[in-house]
Amino acid sequence: MPAPLRIVIVGGGTAGWMTAAAFASVYGPELRNIRLIESSEIGIVGVGEATLPHIRFFNRRIGIDERELMAKTQATFKLGIEFVDWARIGDSYIHPFGAYGSRIAGVPFHHYWLRQRAAGETSAIEDYSLPIVASRMNRFALPSDDPTEVMSTFGYAFQFDASLYAAYLRGFAEQRGVQRTDGKIVDVKLRPGDGWVESVQLADGSEVTGDLFIDCSGFRGLIIEQALKTGYDDWTRWLPCDRAAAVPCDSHGQLTPYTRATAREAGWQWRIPLQHRTGNGYVYSSNFISDDEAASKLLSRLDGKPQADPRFLRFTAGRRRKTWNRNCVAIGLSGGFLEPLESTSIYLIQIAITTLVDYLTDRDATSGRFDERVVDAYNRWIEMEYDRVRDFLILHYHATERDDAPIWNYCRSMSVPDSLIHKMELFRERGHVITYKDGLFLEPSWLAVYLGQRVMPRGYDGRADAVDGVKVAAELERVRTRVMTAAARMPHHEKFIQQYCPATPRSEMPGVMA
Amino acid sequence: MSEAIRKIIVAGSGPVAWIAAAGLSRALRSRAVEVSIVATEPDGAVAGYWTLPSQRGIHALLGVNEPHFIHHTGSTFRLATEHRGWQGEGSAYLHAHGEIGSDIEGTPYYKYLLSEALAGRPAAAENFSVAGAAARLGRFARPMGEGLTASFTYGFHIEEPAYTRYLQMHAQRLGVRICPAVLADVELAENGNISALRLNDGILADADLFIDCSGAAARLIRHVSSNERDDWSAWLPCDRMLSGMGPALRDPAPVTQTVAAQAGWMWRAPLVERSMAGMAYSSAFMNDDAAHATLAAFEPGLKGEVVTRFSSGRRRDGWVRNCVALGAAAVELEPLAGASLHLAQLGLATLVELFPLNRSSSVEAREFNRLMGAQGDSLRDFTIAHYRLGRAPAGDFWTTARAAAPPANLAHKLDLFAASGRINLLDHETFEEIDWAWLLIGGGCVPAAIELHTRQRLAKLRSQDVSAIRTRVQQVAASMPPHAEFVRRQTPPVART
Repeated sequence: MPAPLRIVIVGGGTAGWMTAAAFASVYGPELRNIRLIESSEIGIVGVGEATLPHIRFFNRRIGIDERELMAKTQATFKLGIEFVDWARIGDSYIHPFGAYGSRIAGVPFHHYWLRQRAAGETSAIEDYSLPIVASRMNRFALPSDDPTEVMSTFGYAFQFDASLYAAYLRGFAEQRGVQRTDGKIVDVKLRPGDGWVESVQLADGSEVTGDLFIDCSGFRGLIIEQALKTGYDDWTRWLPCDRAAAVPCDSHGQLTPYTRATAREAGWQWRIPLQHRTGNGYVYSSNFISDDEAASKLLSRLDGKPQADPRFLRFTAGRRRKTWNRNCVAIGLSGGFLEPLESTSIYLIQIAITTLVDYLTDRDATSGRFDERVVDAYNRWIEMEYDRVRDFLILHYHATERDDAPIWNYCRSMSVPDSLIHKMELFRERGHVITYKDGLFLEPSWLAVYLGQRVMPRGYDGRADAVDGVKVAAELERVRTRVMTAAARMPHHEKFIQQYCPATPRSEMPGVMA
Repeated sequence: MSEAIRKIIVAGSGPVAWIAAAGLSRALRSRAVEVSIVATEPDGAVAGYWTLPSQRGIHALLGVNEPHFIHHTGSTFRLATEHRGWQGEGSAYLHAHGEIGSDIEGTPYYKYLLSEALAGRPAAAENFSVAGAAARLGRFARPMGEGLTASFTYGFHIEEPAYTRYLQMHAQRLGVRICPAVLADVELAENGNISALRLNDGILADADLFIDCSGAAARLIRHVSSNERDDWSAWLPCDRMLSGMGPALRDPAPVTQTVAAQAGWMWRAPLVERSMAGMAYSSAFMNDDAAHATLAAFEPGLKGEVVTRFSSGRRRDGWVRNCVALGAAAVELEPLAGASLHLAQLGLATLVELFPLNRSSSVEAREFNRLMGAQGDSLRDFTIAHYRLGRAPAGDFWTTARAAAPPANLAHKLDLFAASGRINLLDHETFEEIDWAWLLIGGGCVPAAIELHTRQRLAKLRSQDVSAIRTRVQQVAASMPPHAEFVRRQTPPVART
């Protein structure tokens, strides 16, 4: 039996504590020693954070109680993301966590909708999605497991306070034996010869050695870039935003079970409702607006009183060339940055962690090294995940008719990856959505953004004509009614939260000093 | 927008052509599309096929009743392929169409076999699989219920002439128009599309879309394509298939057998009233006479042998302008993995899904070529893997087959498995994780290590609990009727008057 793997996690933000919690939960103590180093001097980037339904798999895999997590992180439910003003000013659509209708005779539902639409049907595609209809009514209930029920046609995610999330995971991880060191890293020591990471040096002079270093140090990539010079692929030409200003404000109005992303004059603004406040931010391109102007625009467009001064973040959209290099794995912002337009930040952390768990194999007994063949396979997988999210994000910027601001003129006319051009052409020609086996965003997601951003198909799958028109009309009507009835039966989101997971007073939270 | 496609001509004479014609006719029946078939000079002949379970899917698309098909074509069922001698004299393993064991708390059972092999206790996967055990016992039943009795699937052994006749009758019933003459020439329009086929009786047959099922000769698509091709012969040196009909086998198992030979490999498969056998070989290492002699020694009663020449590789684009190539016109690949009809049928299903809404659209062809390219390459990789696992048989042919570095995606797959026991699939692969597990375990590959989380999970199990499934698997297999008896029971439904 090999000696336990010494895992050193550098950085204690969302990525660091998610990694610590997952490794501590998945691997028994005989297999690993986990130490997390964070500096209480360095703040974490974590802002109001919106997630995707995949986080529930992560929670289940590592054994997190969802209800407790929600109560302790001021969390709300999320059924989708509302996109406002993206194709045209005045437009609004929701990217839902769920399907539109269900297949008829093996053909995706939306082809029947397109067929009926060509014949004069006026219903909106939204009417066929329970999570959208419920969102528009600010209602929420847990989905059903019974696949025959319309209540089984959606999933959900959370919107929570990322600093509270990190604090919660810290408690979870420490209970499972993760050791925390408060210290600032001043140097990274590489092994002479092969340049593998040997240790990190702390400001107090101590040194922490390890077998596997997880770099969760954020944008700067303390080990993966500063020490290992891994390199970074810059995607700014497709995703021009490079700054964000974030500010929380008082809650106002009904608690929405969705995140909102509103296209603005130089980027877009997020709105994430939590139990105790609303998180807001303006993601923008420094080419098109100054920091001051972005901040003042942001402050002028809040729905409640700001609770602090705006905090600024800088980033470059892109991906680290290898997120696993030698004995260092970059997880979180050190591995790559894709703006949170589709709430993918935590997903990309999660997929890096679970993929690492899936792949991690004992080191070679003599050389002490990880097998390069495993490292390469891991890197190819993570690359694929980032690339697929990237194309989906580019679609939001590119599929626009807006010509009221330079950023939209740029994005509308920029050249995009061939793979995306092909996807869009197939949809435009015949409503066909290209799907893939692995990676994020399935058919309903692509469909929501295409239709929501006015990429309207000229035709539809001819197989949809094989079903009798009267039957199709009746089926569409039945789905609409079922959706509307089910949504109307759900409680209001706010009410549901009050009885299901009301927030714990702050002083009772782990990791928070009273 | 230009007009919709109203007329399709399928050109070809074998099962692929009839499947395409019947399939299109049935799938497009609500769309007023006329489907005709024009015969082409036969190009390449084989005694028959062993198919993947996907043949059942194509039969569903065509509306073929399975017992009726078995009864009228003398076909048999197929649970597995047995590969003999591929890792040297005396070696043998099964690739069965079914699960190996059942998942252990979310961990695939084959990982347990890998950890046992790693500990020096290798075991054959077939002992833990209903499909494998039934194949060995010569028994067969259709999967049913859930759990072990539903843990497998099956394909068929089909004789070619009988299948062609059967499909022809079926296509006629579906309303496929049969042109009375044979293809003579291809006429092109000014825009470069095919405008019509000239037949040997002088008649011009026009259509909007042409399906080239004429075999490797690619009698239609070669007129509209640059004919760029990926050559696979460095990895797959066989370029001849000799095959014929043999005597009926006694108590035939639902198994195809392949046997590694000096310059290729031989195969044998049961039918109801006879058997089929053949040999794939490389003409660079063996001449036709020697091949005949080798095959005759393997199957002394062989009759009606035919030789087909082929050249392993794939046309870059199988859909060019208004011509779609299916079968050998698009991809030539030895049938080692049982997929010779599979790719053509997948092409047909993809064409149906992407059937153009108008004559001038080209985006469907791009998508078709992307998907079929990936599928073709993954089948190539699976086939190549047979040659590269474990110890090689002796001889120059085998040295040559292993000499070239494998294609990148295959190298990735084999490397990752060798390092960690992990099997990764790309998008659009025909074979699944379990098929690769059969092949890799059967090929004697033992990984250097197993993923940490899997090792941890398996370490907690007691071996007698894990291996208990072996007994249950044997019981389920033994409860099935003998294969031959099951085949005899396949009587067609009584025709309604």
